[in-house]
Amino acid sequence: MAFLRALRAAPSGLVALVAMVALLAIAVLGPILLGRAANELDFRSVAAGPSAAHPLGTDQLGRDLLARLLVATRLSVGMGLLAEVLAYAAGIPLGAMSALIGPRWRPLLMRAIDTMIAFPGLLVTIYLVTILGPRLGLLGLAAGLAVPGAFRAARVVSTLSLSIAGRDYLAAARLVGVRTPRLIVRYLVPNMAETLITSFAVGVSFTIVAFSGLSFLGIGVQAPSFDWGRMLSEGVNSFYETPAAALGPAAFIAAAALAFAYAGEALARAANPRVWTRAPAARTTAPAGSPAAGGGSGSEETLVVRDLTVRLGGLEIVSGVSFGLAPGEMVGLVGESGSGKTMTALGIARLLPATAAISGGVTLLGRDLETMTKPELARFLGTELAVAFQDPMSSFNPALTMGTQLTEGARRHRGLDRRQAAETAVARLLEVNLPAPRRVLREYPHQLSGGMRQRAMIAMGLMNEPRLLICDEPTTALDVTIQAQIMDLLARVNREHGVAVILISHNLALVRQNCTRTLVMYAGRIVEDLPSERLLTAARHPYTRSLLAAVPDLERRRGERLTTIAGQPPDLSARPSGCPFHPRCPLAQDVCRSERPPLEASPDGTRVACWMAGARVPA
Amino acid sequence: MTTAGDGPSPLAGQVAWLGFLGRRLLGLLVVLAFLLFATFVMVRLIPGDPAVVILGQNGTPDQYRAVDHLLGLDHPWPAQFVDYVTRALRGDLGESYVTKQPVGEIIGQRIGPTALLAGLSLAVVLLLSVPLGMAAAHLTANGRRPRVEVAWTTMTAVFGTIPQYLLATLLVFVFALELRLLPVAGMQGWRAVVLPVASLAVGPTLALARIVRLQVLDALAQDYVRTAESKRLPLRTIYLRHVLPNILTTALTVGGLLFSSLIAGTIFIEQIFVRVGMGSSLIGAIQAHDYPVVQADVLLLGMIVVVVNALVDVLLGVIDPRTLATEG
Repeated sequence: MAFLRALRAAPSGLVALVAMVALLAIAVLGPILLGRAANELDFRSVAAGPSAAHPLGTDQLGRDLLARLLVATRLSVGMGLLAEVLAYAAGIPLGAMSALIGPRWRPLLMRAIDTMIAFPGLLVTIYLVTILGPRLGLLGLAAGLAVPGAFRAARVVSTLSLSIAGRDYLAAARLVGVRTPRLIVRYLVPNMAETLITSFAVGVSFTIVAFSGLSFLGIGVQAPSFDWGRMLSEGVNSFYETPAAALGPAAFIAAAALAFAYAGEALARAANPRVWTRAPAARTTAPAGSPAAGGGSGSEETLVVRDLTVRLGGLEIVSGVSFGLAPGEMVGLVGESGSGKTMTALGIARLLPATAAISGGVTLLGRDLETMTKPELARFLGTELAVAFQDPMSSFNPALTMGTQLTEGARRHRGLDRRQAAETAVARLLEVNLPAPRRVLREYPHQLSGGMRQRAMIAMGLMNEPRLLICDEPTTALDVTIQAQIMDLLARVNREHGVAVILISHNLALVRQNCTRTLVMYAGRIVEDLPSERLLTAARHPYTRSLLAAVPDLERRRGERLTTIAGQPPDLSARPSGCPFHPRCPLAQDVCRSERPPLEASPDGTRVACWMAGARVPA
Repeated sequence: MTTAGDGPSPLAGQVAWLGFLGRRLLGLLVVLAFLLFATFVMVRLIPGDPAVVILGQNGTPDQYRAVDHLLGLDHPWPAQFVDYVTRALRGDLGESYVTKQPVGEIIGQRIGPTALLAGLSLAVVLLLSVPLGMAAAHLTANGRRPRVEVAWTTMTAVFGTIPQYLLATLLVFVFALELRLLPVAGMQGWRAVVLPVASLAVGPTLALARIVRLQVLDALAQDYVRTAESKRLPLRTIYLRHVLPNILTTALTVGGLLFSSLIAGTIFIEQIFVRVGMGSSLIGAIQAHDYPVVQADVLLLGMIVVVVNALVDVLLGVIDPRTLATEG
């Protein structure tokens, strides 16, 4: 049933599959039922157009074209299948060998296979058919057609075996003592079967086309045998009188080529629906609602975020986030992965994927982003706001030099020429302690170390002297000493340039040490907002306190177990009722399960969203 | 802290380059040697005696022996091979059994039209497929316009699968027989080139455009595009500067493979449109058992493909500096 359902989901695959089965049936039955009719000479209608007696007309000798086409199916499709079977008989061992041969010789063998694939298959086939054809007849033709296919098959098999051999589940199976033959049968073959079915069917499509082509050129099947290719070449010779004689075989070859090529994909899809089911395309919903009203004057603040909400793929991943940022302030945004901190930052920076829907208001330097035109916005955000992304390896364009990437923003928005922009870049690189900045500008991202790339990323952010710098996990991929250097650097940049910084991190200790204020996020909302210096003494949300308890520190006695927070962060598609933290909270009461606590501000300016804020955690 | 060593690009880069070029050159030589060997062996493996082909069935044993001697076939194989290679390197590829014309001369007359056909088609493929694929990607990014996407996938799948000789047949029927816009066959004037080039180029163009679209969509989802967006660059800059270089590697690799199918396609197209060229020469020679011509045609068509592929490889090294570093 699942098989049929998978097929119904892709009607083109179903059509291809039906066409393939029909062609196979015709190949079997055609010569039995129509063998006589195909060779019957009708002298009364020679080279005739379509008629009731001859639906496609007749050829130069008065033979019925449709009957001949159907009979020829056996030879054309049969040769395609035979050649591809031969190809796989040779290609599978060759491919397996290249996977097993060991790293020393593998590149050489793979390169040889690649070279053969890059060579025109038709030329190889013509070469082999010239040698083998006169001796072996049809088998020689099949062999000639099989050789290019064998290299294609070998390529598929070796790539597959190498990729599967490296997978975790295979290593795991080997670890628990599964033996090699069993490993091949139970793990390798099922994982390869799908791809092999597809590539085999595509190969049959190739060989049918190639075989018909050979016959079309007059070096394939010889008279009196006939296949689609021979019929096509005869038809083309009388194109003026009877176009159907050429178009008929052409249609059959095209149909067979398409049927086999796409039936293979349909079969694989049906065999493993999971892989092929496409996730429902996320729809962009129109930005909902107008920016929330009020929220303080905010004119003296660098950034004011009001009720920011982000929906992606039907889920609300950021819910009503509001906060402000004073000039030169450095604020940490902490939370477990999936808490919405990065999405909040991307929402502020207007960098969310196009499929996301965003509502709420963002005011940067007193200007409401909502009211600005696109070009204004580009220029404003391009100069006043910069983002340093998490993974500096993937966040730099691997195909462009560092110089191009560092300078393009300044050249675009500040109209600097190449020289001026390069000078600015050198100054910024020196500022982030990158030695030999002129060389760095000429280098590509892969030529720098991780720490250097992160520094360069920050330097790039500083190019236009922005008022706000958002750093998304700037130190996560780096080792501890470099982590400390980058944090020092950020603190200095914050101080010397007076640039406000939002530091996104899952590392509470890092935030506590470097930021003036800490915002804690949980399940898409801010749950606590307080000065970093008061984190240890005055944190009131149980989530914040358990995060603090989970931070390893030097005072902790050896042997004492590190506290972890029990349970998992909530699944956004099945948010718990009431306070989202209640299933994991040691203080949870009935009210926590039924009603969501609002984020309430205290007179001292701190904010917390908890019914039990500040209560003692039971030991 | 320090600016020492802020000099020219390090020597290591140039060494890597030379090593890369050296390996490619060596590979090219190996493949060319193999090609020479294969074409040499071919003629020796074809059943039937060349002397019989030349003289017919009614020669005397002495005549046959004289022809064998003339062709060098009375020497042992290794000696014959050395002879073949040294002659081939001098550009001497023997003479036709049928017309007695030097093979070099035959090829000289025929390589021009084939090169024109293949070159024009390749230019069409490369110039059209990248903008087409990019436009398709832009129109359908983020799941927009699902109907355009379905139409695009279907069209590229069908035209990417249909072989060139069928497309040629179809185009001749529509544009030459029905609409009478273009000549059915022949080599007179530019109008005679339109249908052959279209037959050769349409399939590979759409096949490549399909791949380009997927590559562009893939690149658009990369972190570095988000970084570029964070710099608020115009869309044009993002596509041309940040996306294009990253898809060029794949486009060129596939383009190189498609070139070899283009070369194979010329064999059909020359036959269908009754054009003079390497392909029609090859087919004619096979049917006439004119082995020196077959040998030289296979050698030359093979060399064109191999050399173009090597050039593509080097070009890839220029475009994507990572190839130099990563591959052995």
